[in-house]
Amino acid sequence: MYTHLHKELEKLKTLSLKMASYVKESLKDCIYAFKNMDTDLAQQIVDGDERVNHLEVKIDETCLKLLALEGPVAKDLRFIIGCMRASIDLERIGDETANIAQTTIILSLKPKLPFYTELTHMGNKSLEMLEYALESFFKPDPDMAIDVCKMDSTVDKLNNDIIKEIIAYMIKEIPAIKRSVYCINIARRFERIGDLATNIAESGVFIAKGINIKHYCQFDNR
Amino acid sequence: MKPNNTKIKVKNLNFFYGKKQALFDISMDIYENQVTGLIGPSGCGKSTFLRCLNRMNDLILDTRVQGEVYLDNKNIFDPDVDVVELRRKVGMVFQKPNPFPKSIFENVAYGLRVQGIKDKEQIAQRVEESLQRAALWDDVKDRLNESAMGLSGGQQQRLCIARAIAVQPEVLLMDEPASALDPIATRKIEELIFELKKNFTIVIVTHNMQQAARIADYTGFFLMGKLIEMDKTEVIFTKPNKKETEEYITGRFG
Repeated sequence: MYTHLHKELEKLKTLSLKMASYVKESLKDCIYAFKNMDTDLAQQIVDGDERVNHLEVKIDETCLKLLALEGPVAKDLRFIIGCMRASIDLERIGDETANIAQTTIILSLKPKLPFYTELTHMGNKSLEMLEYALESFFKPDPDMAIDVCKMDSTVDKLNNDIIKEIIAYMIKEIPAIKRSVYCINIARRFERIGDLATNIAESGVFIAKGINIKHYCQFDNR
Repeated sequence: MKPNNTKIKVKNLNFFYGKKQALFDISMDIYENQVTGLIGPSGCGKSTFLRCLNRMNDLILDTRVQGEVYLDNKNIFDPDVDVVELRRKVGMVFQKPNPFPKSIFENVAYGLRVQGIKDKEQIAQRVEESLQRAALWDDVKDRLNESAMGLSGGQQQRLCIARAIAVQPEVLLMDEPASALDPIATRKIEELIFELKKNFTIVIVTHNMQQAARIADYTGFFLMGKLIEMDKTEVIFTKPNKKETEEYITGRFG
């Protein structure tokens, strides 16, 4: 039987997909803008964060209404909780993306530093993680979520390596200290995006299997 | 943590109305001082199962039961079981409040008199105690001699609960005790059930799944005479193990 609740859940899924799509595009554009120092695109990303925030509020209201009025249980309840969690993570990714875009605008005023390629590579890895996480969330595919967790270690390592490299550079190139600190911030933000993508994948596992794999990222596949 | 004191143990219970089998091989543990909720679509056998627990089905012609139901390790179907005593130990509250057309006091005192208690003081004390436990004393203490029929639906149901607990049962069976009541009276009954489980083991049949979720410690899901799944209520309503349970509680069934 297809009930009113199930129609509402479809609407919630559509809203979540829309938000996910905005955030993913924003991250993709943000990496492009950084790589090419495209300030127009960077400004568009900063301005576009508003629509992501708006969707987060809308998803929050929708979930609250469904919880209060429909008495959802089992997988319906888990789906609503999962969407609430994912929307919080997506909104934060949106914020991180907007911040990287803002920093890109500042960095564009000065010559490029030697580690921009590595930063772009790290950005692409975090984007790949987000794409996997969203696919595993919406399918849902718990096995893909485990892949996302594994990818997070790669991004963490990239972050550590880049920060070491930037610090070494800062010691030699004192006039570039300010720009280098901005680059450390960008690396940290890409790393944070990886963490948030992992959270989204974990929420997908919660929806599909009803288990909480937060902080240890594994489950018994029986 | 499982409260492991099993009050009632049901083993391979089958029940027949004439040739039609209504219950199929039900096995279940009902724990002491816990609320066990039974859910399932109409005609799934949950009320029939409930009535097996104090042999109320004996009163229906052309019925047959197979299997065992142990109350404190004694099979209630053994020939030496006194059915009247069994029903004292395992009391019942029905869907519609059914007070006797007598005074409020006499409704509660009735079972005590049937038991042969004659001491007026003792009866008065037990009536007050039962009405207090049923959260009705404050409503009726000044009008104990008035007709029970003048009480509201919710009050009548609490009176029936007081009547059931006056004879000091160990188990209370409730067959949709709040389905005929408004939301406020329903909440009062639910709050009462929370209090009553300190002293009694409660088995409740309900069509209202949110009610089962709110008040039951354990929930059993029945479908077509079979017990599909029985687990802690939080498991049933967040992560049921059986597809049939999931489909029923999320409304995808049917």
